[in-house]
Amino acid sequence: MLKNKFNIPASAYISALQRNSVDYVVTVPDWVQLAFHCQLEAGVEGIELVQCCNEDQAVCVAAGLRIGGKNPVLIVQNQGIYGCVNSIRALGLDAQQPLVFMVGQFGREFANFGKSPSLSRRNTVRYLEPVLDALDVRHWRLEEESDLPKIDQAFSYAQRTSRPAALIVGAPTGWL
Amino acid sequence: MNILTACKAIQEARGPAILIATMGAMVAFDKLDAGQPRLNSVPLMGGSASLGMGLALAHPDRTVIVVDGDASLLMQLGALVTVAGKSPRNFHHFLINNGTQFSGLSNLSLPGRQIDYCALAAAAGYPITHRIQDEENLTMRIRDILSSDGPSFIELTIEPDPPIFGADSPQQDWSDHQFTRMGDEARQLAVLLANGGAA
Repeated sequence: MLKNKFNIPASAYISALQRNSVDYVVTVPDWVQLAFHCQLEAGVEGIELVQCCNEDQAVCVAAGLRIGGKNPVLIVQNQGIYGCVNSIRALGLDAQQPLVFMVGQFGREFANFGKSPSLSRRNTVRYLEPVLDALDVRHWRLEEESDLPKIDQAFSYAQRTSRPAALIVGAPTGWL
Repeated sequence: MNILTACKAIQEARGPAILIATMGAMVAFDKLDAGQPRLNSVPLMGGSASLGMGLALAHPDRTVIVVDGDASLLMQLGALVTVAGKSPRNFHHFLINNGTQFSGLSNLSLPGRQIDYCALAAAAGYPITHRIQDEENLTMRIRDILSSDGPSFIELTIEPDPPIFGADSPQQDWSDHQFTRMGDEARQLAVLLANGGAA
Protein backbone atom coordinates (compact mmCIF):
# COMPACT_ATOMS: atom_id res chain seq x y z
CA MET A 1 0.00 0.00 0.00
CA LEU A 2 1.27 3.44 -0.89
CA LYS A 3 1.92 5.34 2.29
CA ASN A 4 4.10 8.39 2.51
CA LYS A 5 3.95 11.96 3.65
CA PHE A 6 1.95 12.98 0.60
CA ASN A 7 -1.01 10.75 1.49
CA ILE A 8 -2.97 12.93 3.88
CA PRO A 9 -5.27 10.58 5.82
CA ALA A 10 -8.94 10.67 4.88
CA SER A 11 -9.76 10.91 8.57
CA ALA A 12 -7.83 14.18 8.74
CA TYR A 13 -9.92 15.55 5.88
CA ILE A 14 -13.10 14.45 7.66
CA SER A 15 -11.96 16.25 10.80
CA ALA A 16 -11.27 19.38 8.77
CA LEU A 17 -14.75 19.30 7.27
CA GLN A 18 -16.32 18.86 10.68
CA ARG A 19 -14.19 21.65 12.08
CA ASN A 20 -15.58 23.90 9.34
CA SER A 21 -19.20 22.88 10.02
CA VAL A 22 -19.69 21.19 6.66
CA ASP A 23 -23.08 19.49 6.59
CA TYR A 24 -23.26 18.29 2.97
CA VAL A 25 -20.73 16.73 0.64
CA VAL A 26 -21.84 17.13 -2.98
CA THR A 27 -19.77 15.02 -5.28
CA VAL A 28 -18.87 13.29 -8.47
CA PRO A 29 -16.29 10.80 -7.20
CA ASP A 30 -12.60 11.29 -7.71
CA TRP A 31 -9.91 8.59 -7.95
CA VAL A 32 -7.48 10.64 -5.89
CA GLN A 33 -9.95 10.97 -3.02
CA LEU A 34 -11.22 7.39 -2.98
CA ALA A 35 -10.31 6.76 0.66
CA PHE A 36 -12.12 9.96 1.56
CA HIS A 37 -15.17 8.88 -0.44
CA CYS A 38 -15.23 5.49 1.22
CA GLN A 39 -15.29 7.02 4.68
CA LEU A 40 -18.04 9.42 3.63
CA GLU A 41 -20.10 6.63 2.09
CA ALA A 42 -19.74 4.63 5.27
CA GLY A 43 -21.40 7.53 7.03
CA VAL A 44 -20.05 10.50 8.94
CA GLU A 45 -22.04 12.08 11.75
CA GLY A 46 -23.52 15.38 10.64
CA ILE A 47 -22.52 15.11 6.97
CA GLU A 48 -24.99 14.08 4.28
CA LEU A 49 -23.72 12.83 0.93
CA VAL A 50 -25.27 13.96 -2.36
CA GLN A 51 -24.04 12.11 -5.42
CA CYS A 52 -24.46 13.83 -8.76
CA CYS A 53 -24.17 12.59 -12.32
CA ASN A 54 -21.80 15.36 -13.33
CA GLU A 55 -20.07 18.40 -11.91
CA ASP A 56 -22.52 20.92 -13.41
CA GLN A 57 -25.23 19.32 -11.34
CA ALA A 58 -22.96 19.22 -8.32
CA VAL A 59 -22.30 22.97 -8.55
CA CYS A 60 -26.03 23.68 -8.86
CA VAL A 61 -27.01 21.39 -5.98
CA ALA A 62 -24.32 22.92 -3.78
CA ALA A 63 -25.47 26.42 -4.69
CA GLY A 64 -29.05 25.52 -3.83
CA LEU A 65 -27.90 24.19 -0.49
CA ARG A 66 -25.88 27.35 0.17
CA ILE A 67 -28.80 29.62 -0.68
CA GLY A 68 -30.89 27.45 1.64
CA GLY A 69 -28.49 28.11 4.50
CA LYS A 70 -26.42 24.93 4.44
CA ASN A 71 -22.64 24.60 4.27
CA PRO A 72 -21.68 22.16 1.52
CA VAL A 73 -18.31 21.20 0.09
CA LEU A 74 -17.85 19.89 -3.43
CA ILE A 75 -15.54 16.92 -4.01
CA VAL A 76 -14.57 16.48 -7.63
CA GLN A 77 -11.48 15.88 -9.73
CA ASN A 78 -9.56 18.10 -12.11
CA GLN A 79 -11.44 16.79 -15.14
CA GLY A 80 -14.67 17.74 -13.39
CA ILE A 81 -13.54 21.33 -13.02
CA TYR A 82 -12.86 21.45 -16.75
CA GLY A 83 -16.35 20.09 -17.33
CA CYS A 84 -18.26 22.60 -15.20
CA VAL A 85 -16.56 25.89 -15.97
CA ASN A 86 -19.83 27.51 -17.06
CA SER A 87 -21.63 26.51 -13.87
CA ILE A 88 -18.77 27.92 -11.79
CA ARG A 89 -18.99 31.10 -13.84
CA ALA A 90 -22.76 31.35 -13.37
CA LEU A 91 -23.19 30.38 -9.73
CA GLY A 92 -19.79 30.82 -8.14
CA LEU A 93 -18.77 34.05 -9.85
CA ASP A 94 -21.84 35.83 -11.29
CA ALA A 95 -24.16 34.80 -8.46
CA GLN A 96 -21.34 35.08 -5.89
CA GLN A 97 -21.93 31.81 -4.08
CA PRO A 98 -19.09 30.81 -1.73
CA LEU A 99 -18.63 27.29 -3.06
CA VAL A 100 -15.64 25.38 -1.72
CA PHE A 101 -14.20 22.66 -3.95
CA MET A 102 -11.83 19.83 -3.09
CA VAL A 103 -10.26 18.93 -6.40
CA GLY A 104 -8.21 15.79 -6.88
CA GLN A 105 -5.20 16.02 -9.20
CA PHE A 106 -6.13 12.91 -11.18
CA GLY A 107 -3.32 11.69 -13.38
CA ARG A 108 -0.51 13.37 -11.48
CA GLU A 109 2.70 11.39 -11.73
CA PHE A 110 3.78 10.11 -8.33
CA ALA A 111 7.23 11.42 -9.20
CA ASN A 112 5.68 14.87 -9.29
CA PHE A 113 4.56 14.76 -5.64
CA GLY A 114 6.26 17.54 -3.76
CA LYS A 115 7.01 19.41 -6.97
CA SER A 116 5.02 21.97 -8.91
CA PRO A 117 2.12 20.49 -10.92
CA SER A 118 3.24 22.83 -13.69
CA LEU A 119 6.09 20.34 -14.25
CA SER A 120 3.67 17.46 -14.90
CA ARG A 121 3.79 15.87 -18.34
CA ARG A 122 0.01 15.59 -18.35
CA ASN A 123 -2.38 18.32 -19.46
CA THR A 124 -5.10 17.23 -17.05
CA VAL A 125 -2.71 17.99 -14.17
CA ARG A 126 -0.84 20.94 -15.58
CA TYR A 127 -3.87 22.95 -16.67
CA LEU A 128 -5.80 22.89 -13.39
CA GLU A 129 -4.17 25.85 -11.68
CA PRO A 130 -4.04 28.00 -14.85
CA VAL A 131 -7.74 27.31 -15.46
CA LEU A 132 -8.61 28.28 -11.89
CA ASP A 133 -6.43 31.38 -12.28
CA ALA A 134 -8.23 32.27 -15.51
CA LEU A 135 -11.53 32.04 -13.64
CA ASP A 136 -10.07 34.08 -10.80
CA VAL A 137 -10.84 31.24 -8.41
CA ARG A 138 -8.35 31.27 -5.53
CA HIS A 139 -6.76 27.90 -4.81
CA TRP A 140 -4.57 26.18 -2.25
CA ARG A 141 -2.45 23.04 -2.63
CA LEU A 142 -2.92 20.24 -0.13
CA GLU A 143 0.34 18.30 -0.36
CA GLU A 144 1.11 17.21 3.21
CA GLU A 145 -0.68 17.14 6.55
CA SER A 146 0.88 20.46 7.46
CA ASP A 147 -1.27 21.96 4.68
CA LEU A 148 -4.56 21.02 6.37
CA PRO A 149 -5.06 24.50 7.89
CA LYS A 150 -5.47 25.70 4.29
CA ILE A 151 -8.88 24.05 4.36
CA ASP A 152 -9.91 26.44 7.12
CA GLN A 153 -8.43 29.32 5.14
CA ALA A 154 -10.43 28.35 2.05
CA PHE A 155 -13.74 28.18 3.90
CA SER A 156 -13.02 31.47 5.62
CA TYR A 157 -12.04 33.12 2.34
CA ALA A 158 -15.11 31.86 0.48
CA GLN A 159 -17.47 33.01 3.20
CA ARG A 160 -15.76 36.38 3.61
CA THR A 161 -15.58 37.21 -0.08
CA SER A 162 -18.65 35.35 -1.44
CA ARG A 163 -16.41 33.70 -4.01
CA PRO A 164 -15.57 30.10 -4.85
CA ALA A 165 -12.41 28.54 -3.43
CA ALA A 166 -10.54 25.43 -4.57
CA LEU A 167 -8.44 23.08 -2.46
CA ILE A 168 -6.23 20.97 -4.69
CA VAL A 169 -5.71 17.46 -3.35
CA GLY A 170 -2.35 16.55 -4.77
CA ALA A 171 -1.98 12.87 -3.90
CA PRO A 172 -4.27 9.95 -3.05
CA THR A 173 -5.90 10.45 0.32
CA GLY A 174 -4.60 8.00 2.91
CA TRP A 175 -6.70 5.00 3.96
CA LEU A 176 -6.63 5.91 7.64
CA MET B 1 -51.80 25.89 -23.92
CA ASN B 2 -49.03 28.44 -24.28
CA ILE B 3 -46.21 29.11 -21.87
CA LEU B 4 -47.88 32.12 -20.30
CA THR B 5 -51.14 30.34 -19.53
CA ALA B 6 -49.22 27.36 -18.13
CA CYS B 7 -47.07 29.53 -15.90
CA LYS B 8 -50.14 31.50 -14.82
CA ALA B 9 -51.78 28.28 -13.62
CA ILE B 10 -48.61 27.38 -11.70
CA GLN B 11 -48.31 30.84 -10.21
CA GLU B 12 -51.95 30.84 -9.09
CA ALA B 13 -51.53 27.48 -7.36
CA ARG B 14 -48.03 28.11 -6.07
CA GLY B 15 -48.78 29.67 -2.68
CA PRO B 16 -45.57 30.12 -0.66
CA ALA B 17 -43.60 27.53 -2.66
CA ILE B 18 -40.06 28.33 -3.76
CA LEU B 19 -40.11 28.81 -7.53
CA ILE B 20 -37.09 27.97 -9.70
CA ALA B 21 -37.46 28.77 -13.40
CA THR B 22 -35.31 29.12 -16.46
CA MET B 23 -35.47 30.45 -20.01
CA GLY B 24 -38.98 30.97 -21.41
CA ALA B 25 -40.66 30.18 -18.10
CA MET B 26 -38.57 32.86 -16.43
CA VAL B 27 -39.84 35.42 -18.93
CA ALA B 28 -43.42 34.26 -18.42
CA PHE B 29 -43.16 34.46 -14.63
CA ASP B 30 -41.68 37.96 -15.01
CA LYS B 31 -44.78 38.97 -16.97
CA LEU B 32 -46.88 37.53 -14.17
CA ASP B 33 -44.93 39.49 -11.53
CA ALA B 34 -44.03 36.30 -9.68
CA GLY B 35 -42.00 37.35 -6.67
CA GLN B 36 -39.91 35.80 -3.91
CA PRO B 37 -39.30 33.11 -2.87
CA ARG B 38 -37.97 32.79 -6.40
CA LEU B 39 -34.69 32.08 -8.20
CA ASN B 40 -33.95 31.85 -11.90
CA SER B 41 -31.26 29.72 -13.46
CA VAL B 42 -29.95 32.44 -15.76
CA PRO B 43 -27.90 32.59 -17.82
CA LEU B 44 -27.48 28.93 -17.09
CA MET B 45 -29.49 26.44 -19.12
CA GLY B 46 -29.88 23.09 -17.43
CA GLY B 47 -29.30 24.23 -13.87
CA SER B 48 -32.82 24.60 -12.53
CA ALA B 49 -33.54 21.04 -11.39
CA SER B 50 -30.28 20.67 -9.46
CA LEU B 51 -30.59 24.15 -7.95
CA GLY B 52 -34.11 23.28 -6.88
CA MET B 53 -32.98 20.00 -5.40
CA GLY B 54 -30.36 21.74 -3.27
CA LEU B 55 -33.04 24.07 -1.95
CA ALA B 56 -35.46 21.20 -1.40
CA LEU B 57 -32.86 19.33 0.67
CA ALA B 58 -32.01 22.43 2.66
CA HIS B 59 -35.68 23.15 3.38
CA PRO B 60 -37.62 19.89 3.46
CA ASP B 61 -40.52 21.73 5.06
CA ARG B 62 -41.08 23.92 2.01
CA THR B 63 -42.47 23.03 -1.39
CA VAL B 64 -40.06 23.61 -4.28
CA ILE B 65 -41.42 24.06 -7.80
CA VAL B 66 -38.99 23.83 -10.72
CA VAL B 67 -40.18 24.97 -14.14
CA ASP B 68 -37.68 23.63 -16.62
CA GLY B 69 -37.42 23.84 -20.39
CA ASP B 70 -37.10 20.90 -22.73
CA ALA B 71 -33.85 22.13 -24.31
CA SER B 72 -32.53 22.95 -20.84
CA LEU B 73 -33.37 19.53 -19.44
CA LEU B 74 -31.74 17.86 -22.44
CA MET B 75 -28.50 19.64 -21.52
CA GLN B 76 -28.53 18.03 -18.07
CA LEU B 77 -30.64 14.92 -18.53
CA GLY B 78 -28.62 13.23 -15.81
CA ALA B 79 -30.15 15.71 -13.37
CA LEU B 80 -33.22 13.47 -13.41
CA VAL B 81 -31.08 10.74 -11.87
CA THR B 82 -29.41 13.16 -9.45
CA VAL B 83 -32.84 14.30 -8.21
CA ALA B 84 -34.29 10.81 -8.04
CA GLY B 85 -31.24 9.66 -6.10
CA LYS B 86 -32.25 11.84 -3.17
CA SER B 87 -36.00 11.86 -3.96
CA PRO B 88 -36.97 14.98 -2.04
CA ARG B 89 -40.66 14.68 -1.25
CA ASN B 90 -41.14 18.45 -1.45
CA PHE B 91 -39.89 18.69 -5.04
CA HIS B 92 -42.10 19.15 -8.13
CA HIS B 93 -40.46 19.36 -11.53
CA PHE B 94 -42.52 20.90 -14.35
CA LEU B 95 -41.27 20.71 -17.91
CA ILE B 96 -42.21 23.15 -20.65
CA ASN B 97 -42.27 20.89 -23.68
CA ASN B 98 -42.63 23.18 -26.66
CA GLY B 99 -40.30 21.20 -28.89
CA THR B 100 -38.14 24.21 -29.69
CA GLN B 101 -35.11 26.06 -28.43
CA PHE B 102 -34.87 29.85 -28.42
CA SER B 103 -38.61 29.43 -28.31
CA GLY B 104 -40.55 32.57 -29.12
CA LEU B 105 -37.35 34.09 -30.48
CA SER B 106 -36.28 31.96 -33.43
CA ASN B 107 -37.91 28.59 -32.66
CA LEU B 108 -34.99 26.39 -33.58
CA SER B 109 -35.52 22.66 -33.61
CA LEU B 110 -34.34 20.37 -30.83
CA PRO B 111 -32.09 17.37 -31.13
CA GLY B 112 -34.27 14.28 -31.02
CA ARG B 113 -37.88 13.78 -31.99
CA GLN B 114 -40.91 12.56 -30.04
CA ILE B 115 -38.98 12.42 -26.79
CA ASP B 116 -41.00 10.77 -24.03
CA TYR B 117 -39.91 12.92 -21.10
CA CYS B 118 -42.26 11.25 -18.61
CA ALA B 119 -40.73 7.90 -19.51
CA LEU B 120 -37.26 9.35 -19.03
CA ALA B 121 -38.20 10.73 -15.61
CA ALA B 122 -39.81 7.46 -14.57
CA ALA B 123 -36.83 5.47 -15.78
CA ALA B 124 -34.55 7.79 -13.80
CA GLY B 125 -36.53 7.04 -10.66
CA TYR B 126 -39.19 9.73 -10.30
CA PRO B 127 -42.07 7.92 -8.61
CA ILE B 128 -44.76 10.21 -10.02
CA THR B 129 -45.11 11.52 -13.57
CA HIS B 130 -47.92 13.35 -15.32
CA ARG B 131 -48.37 14.59 -18.85
CA ILE B 132 -50.81 17.49 -19.11
CA GLN B 133 -51.80 18.80 -22.50
CA ASP B 134 -54.23 21.62 -21.87
CA GLU B 135 -54.81 24.50 -19.53
CA GLU B 136 -58.11 23.17 -18.19
CA ASN B 137 -56.50 19.94 -17.00
CA LEU B 138 -53.53 21.76 -15.56
CA THR B 139 -55.75 24.12 -13.58
CA MET B 140 -57.88 21.21 -12.39
CA ARG B 141 -54.97 19.01 -11.27
CA ILE B 142 -52.17 21.28 -10.16
CA ARG B 143 -53.26 21.79 -6.56
CA ASP B 144 -53.52 18.05 -6.01
CA ILE B 145 -50.09 17.57 -7.53
CA LEU B 146 -48.49 20.24 -5.37
CA SER B 147 -50.13 18.99 -2.19
CA SER B 148 -48.98 15.40 -2.82
CA ASP B 149 -45.57 13.98 -1.99
CA GLY B 150 -42.93 14.17 -4.70
CA PRO B 151 -40.65 14.09 -6.35
CA SER B 152 -43.07 14.50 -9.21
CA PHE B 153 -42.40 15.26 -12.85
CA ILE B 154 -45.08 17.08 -14.82
CA GLU B 155 -44.63 17.43 -18.56
CA LEU B 156 -46.67 20.27 -20.02
CA THR B 157 -47.43 20.19 -23.72
CA ILE B 158 -46.95 23.79 -24.83
CA GLU B 159 -47.66 25.47 -28.16
CA PRO B 160 -44.56 27.55 -28.96
CA ASP B 161 -45.03 31.27 -29.28
CA PRO B 162 -44.31 32.64 -32.76
CA PRO B 163 -40.71 33.80 -33.32
CA ILE B 164 -40.02 37.50 -32.97
CA PHE B 165 -36.54 37.75 -34.49
CA GLY B 166 -35.93 38.33 -38.18
CA ALA B 167 -34.41 40.74 -40.65
CA ASP B 168 -36.82 43.48 -39.59
CA SER B 169 -36.48 42.75 -35.89
CA PRO B 170 -32.97 41.56 -35.08
CA GLN B 171 -31.59 40.88 -31.61
CA GLN B 172 -31.02 43.82 -29.28
CA ASP B 173 -28.37 44.14 -26.60
CA TRP B 174 -28.99 42.41 -23.28
CA SER B 175 -29.38 44.43 -20.14
CA ASP B 176 -26.91 43.79 -17.32
CA HIS B 177 -29.87 42.55 -15.29
CA GLN B 178 -29.81 39.28 -17.22
CA PHE B 179 -26.32 38.62 -15.84
CA THR B 180 -26.78 39.90 -12.30
CA ARG B 181 -30.30 38.84 -11.42
CA MET B 182 -29.46 35.29 -10.34
CA GLY B 183 -27.07 36.62 -7.72
CA ASP B 184 -29.54 39.28 -6.60
CA GLU B 185 -32.33 36.73 -6.36
CA ALA B 186 -30.07 34.25 -4.55
CA ARG B 187 -29.21 36.81 -1.90
CA GLN B 188 -32.86 37.83 -1.45
CA LEU B 189 -33.94 34.21 -1.24
CA ALA B 190 -31.20 33.33 1.23
CA VAL B 191 -32.26 36.16 3.55
CA LEU B 192 -35.91 35.25 3.25
CA LEU B 193 -35.26 31.59 4.01
CA ALA B 194 -32.95 32.42 6.89
CA ASN B 195 -35.70 34.53 8.39
CA GLY B 196 -38.35 31.90 7.72
CA GLY B 197 -40.31 34.37 5.62
CA ALA B 198 -43.23 33.69 3.26
CA ALA B 199 -43.51 30.10 4.46
